Amino acid sequence: MMHYLTDPLQYVFIQRALVAAVIIGVLCAALGTFVVLRRMAVVGHALTHSALPGLVIAYLLGGSLFAGALIATVVTALGIGFLARNESVYEDTLVGMIPNIMFAFGILLISTTRSFRDLFSMLFGNILGITNGDLHLIMLISAVSLIALFLFYKELKLFTVDPNYAQTIGMPVKFMHYGILLFLSFTVVVGIQAVGTVLTNALLVIPVAAARLLTDRLGRMIALSCVFAVLSAVGGIYLSYYFGSASGASIVMFCSFIFALAWVYRFFRR
Amino acid sequence: MKFPYCQHRHSSPNPKAPALEIKGLGVSYSSDEKFALQDFDISVPAGSSVALVGPNGAGKSTLFKAICGLLPIRKGHIRVFGHPLGACHHRVVYLPQRSEIDWCFPISVLDLVVMGRYVYLGWFNRPQKKDIEIACQALKEMNVLDLIHRQISKLSGGQQQRVLIARALAQNADLLLLDEPLNAVDMTTRQTVGEVLNKIKAQGKTVIVATHYYDQEEGRYDKAIYLKEGKKMSGTDGK
Repeated sequence: MMHYLTDPLQYVFIQRALVAAVIIGVLCAALGTFVVLRRMAVVGHALTHSALPGLVIAYLLGGSLFAGALIATVVTALGIGFLARNESVYEDTLVGMIPNIMFAFGILLISTTRSFRDLFSMLFGNILGITNGDLHLIMLISAVSLIALFLFYKELKLFTVDPNYAQTIGMPVKFMHYGILLFLSFTVVVGIQAVGTVLTNALLVIPVAAARLLTDRLGRMIALSCVFAVLSAVGGIYLSYYFGSASGASIVMFCSFIFALAWVYRFFRR
Repeated sequence: MKFPYCQHRHSSPNPKAPALEIKGLGVSYSSDEKFALQDFDISVPAGSSVALVGPNGAGKSTLFKAICGLLPIRKGHIRVFGHPLGACHHRVVYLPQRSEIDWCFPISVLDLVVMGRYVYLGWFNRPQKKDIEIACQALKEMNVLDLIHRQISKLSGGQQQRVLIARALAQNADLLLLDEPLNAVDMTTRQTVGEVLNKIKAQGKTVIVATHYYDQEEGRYDKAIYLKEGKKMSGTDGK
């Protein structure tokens, strides 16, 4: 029985994918907790879709896909935040509009290359194809983001539960809002490596939603979300290995299965 | 000394100045909107209690938000304990209406009340034992110490109000701006809040309470100011 778990580990690319899966899972779940609690899941969705043109341009120019996706998501995040200051266009309108434009632009660009294999990997991720360089970048971005989350945990709590009070005691709330968008962009770029632009938001939201069903304490919620995200990422890789399924989709389906279990557990516990 | 969360230099309250002095205040929610509050003057001596009376939309919350720096001032000026806005952050506390808090956020009552101490902590510092003790004392004063570990999502309306006031008490401010603290609460809460208001006043602190239930609380305040459609009304009955 154990050989089912150990067999895939003989391959270096699987080992690399598993390490990446654990890191990506922890980062997505930890930041995703605040994304969900701040009701920013739609913004996460918008940013994941906005990464596509950055990825395609970087691919066409032979540059770093990471850098391309990062620039595209950061520009979109800050752009939405900036344009939303003009009250004649609502933020949710911008969130619904800009990512679609960016996504269409990305599709348009990739369609000129006729390389639909690469498009598939950008849209749905390819964690099994992660290189050593990618892994180092994932580690670096995740470490910076998780340290920031730990350092500003107290302020993030107050900013989320009562932003007005945060402002009255002198917290720079606008700066904090942009800061969250920036770290969300980092997380999205890391998540894209695992599950692609279309499915990254699932990794940000579903583990947190499952954890929310099981606990109403923030610390436990973050811990449970991380466990669920890591389980999903690792489980998805095994599914992909044994059934030849797309790795990104397998991860998200595994995650959805955990959510369903959590929902059933809560339903019968009542 | 500088404030932990911003670079404003902290100024001690000027003992001879009124707790709050406002002259010709004009506030609007955006630059192209009409004034939500206009030509508003007030001087509140330190240690007094004032009721800000008016119907919904009269401008009571707008005034409080302007005093706290949440809304930009378009006309006039505000001085708190003799200093311009921002110089006495920790001396002023604003109790928002309950609807402005995300009560679904997964934290306990103690976590919420300890947030009243953040103004003294600043970046990177975690609440210490002393902060927890102050928060517990505030909860005790509001008769909700037994709810200390309860999740805020599981509180009743009256309990929510008492916990929010406990957070304001934990800040240990000298000027308290309470926005509708008695709105839609049970009799026990009403009684507890009344007792605490008397106690705060006895400590020499200044309290301004926005309310539209003034008839039932008339004896509690030194003065009432009537607001209607963003303007201060003359006369004691607001006519």
